[in-house]
Amino acid sequence: MRNRAIVFLLLASSFAGAVVLSLSVGPLPVTLGQVFRILSGGSADGAGETAMRVVLTLRLPRALLGALVGGALSSSGVAFQALLRNPLADPYILGVSGGAAVGAMTARLLLPGDSFLSLPLCAFLGAALAASVVFVLARRRSGVSRERLILMGVIVGAFLNALIMMMVALAPPGRIPGAVYWLMGDLSLGTLGRVGLLAPYVAAGVVILFLLSRGMDLLLLGDEAAFQSGLPVERVKTVVYLTASLLAGSVVAFSGLIGFVGLIVPHGARSIVGSGHRRLLPAAFLLGGTFLILADVLARTAGPSGELPVGAVTALSGAPFFLYLLRRNGGKP
Amino acid sequence: MRNDLLAAKGLTFRYGERAVLSGVDLLVGEGEVAVLLGPNGAGKSTLLKIFSGLIRPHAGEATILDRSPSSYGRREMARILSVVGQDPPLDFPMSVEEYVMLGRFPHHGFFGQPTAADRREVDQALAMTSLSDLRSRGLGELSAGERQRTAVARAIAQGAKVMLLDEPTAFLDIYHRVMFFEIVTRLAKSCGVTALIASHDLALCAEYGERIILLAKGKVRAAGRPGEVLTPGNIREAFGVDAVCDRNPATGAVRVTPVRKKTGRDEGESALRDSGPAG
Repeated sequence: MRNRAIVFLLLASSFAGAVVLSLSVGPLPVTLGQVFRILSGGSADGAGETAMRVVLTLRLPRALLGALVGGALSSSGVAFQALLRNPLADPYILGVSGGAAVGAMTARLLLPGDSFLSLPLCAFLGAALAASVVFVLARRRSGVSRERLILMGVIVGAFLNALIMMMVALAPPGRIPGAVYWLMGDLSLGTLGRVGLLAPYVAAGVVILFLLSRGMDLLLLGDEAAFQSGLPVERVKTVVYLTASLLAGSVVAFSGLIGFVGLIVPHGARSIVGSGHRRLLPAAFLLGGTFLILADVLARTAGPSGELPVGAVTALSGAPFFLYLLRRNGGKP
Repeated sequence: MRNDLLAAKGLTFRYGERAVLSGVDLLVGEGEVAVLLGPNGAGKSTLLKIFSGLIRPHAGEATILDRSPSSYGRREMARILSVVGQDPPLDFPMSVEEYVMLGRFPHHGFFGQPTAADRREVDQALAMTSLSDLRSRGLGELSAGERQRTAVARAIAQGAKVMLLDEPTAFLDIYHRVMFFEIVTRLAKSCGVTALIASHDLALCAEYGERIILLAKGKVRAAGRPGEVLTPGNIREAFGVDAVCDRNPATGAVRVTPVRKKTGRDEGESALRDSGPAG
């Protein structure tokens, strides 16, 4: 019990540490002391108004957006992994994020204005549709094999990618500004307003998954065993699938395609707190937020001029990690 | 008076055109260790699936405590009947104790925290299966025999009156097979659990089974006490194998020994092919 409390305390501290670090690092250096003073409502001595504005209007919303996006992608990854009993599942690899991107793009091209309600909704629909297409294609009589599922995810993802490229190429100039950057995963558009719009979706998704955590534990046993243990399997799976799609979809709508977070983070979280979802979900959320904020700090500071898209940073670390997992699990069906 | 917990009447089930069960009747009494024997494809697993509510028969009726499986709520059913089937999952790190605790789901549901009573049940299940020392071990670190016992422990923790077991000893060595049947017998005697075991293990089923139901080609070929069912004629009919059925001098239980054909090896093989198993 005490160990668990310590683990969560450590996770929360690293999360807070990542936030503070991201507020301090950038082209305009702000010392940690100044960050704390600004956050506590004081003025930043020596750095003045500019530092305050940079921290409060640029870096803080960006860090919060990173926390929400990282947490949501990790939770979505945990959910898809339980749903498919496949530790290699991740919304990006499964083509779910691609579906969300097509949905969001369609909304931006066809629906009037820059509606932040229709955007996540269409992204959610796109995500749910892509997920079900992948499941149906991967299903065989004998069940869904791990490799087949990944293969179908990649194929559907490639198809959706082509759709996205077509939409970008054919869209009237200026209709989808920053599309290319958005497609590589972008947190730079973070404003407090956007964070406020994304937060309810993420909160709803995370709470629903947490309430279903025992059911997700049982899903790991396989459908038959879960059913025989008293779980209404189909209902739980449907809700988990819709919720995981909602999380992935809303995140894509606000920050584009950020890959591999939903794969790397659940793995790390599982090695710390085990597979029980009651602990795994909060741990993965905290760890996902920390991971993405740090990846974004790297993206902002690593480029010689300007910044890299954060999706490039996560993919650079995530793709080799995926290969490692695939090789390690390769012998098993 | 005999109290029948499980009953089937005229049970018929088809996969597509192929009839897997046709008109199966059976009764299993409270606290009985009953064994379903029969060749591959005889319909043993299908019968267990019907009792656990996974599939519904096309004709006939299966009942648990006089009610059909589908008339129970999911959790209500899981409190009455548990199943030992698939192996524990190995893709996700999980300790023996966490896994066995999953068996308590029908008692505390989605939102309840495991109570002291739940922990007691888990402790007891681990003790009965000699797993107490391995409780914090990961499932991936266990041997086949230990993994199998873990699956039984989860079913025990579920606290159900009826336990269905689908080929539970398939990959175990003789030590672990004996241990398994000892555990099930103890459960039946001390906790009043009714066990229905689908198995290929003629020797141990004859020794431990109180009631044998011999299935062949989707029909009950014979049912009753081991001595009544395990006869050379029934075994030849069901499995296509000649066997000697005598008594175990140590326990008095019926003993089944397959007989190798006396002819040359090639002829023996062709003779086996000709008669073939009935399932």
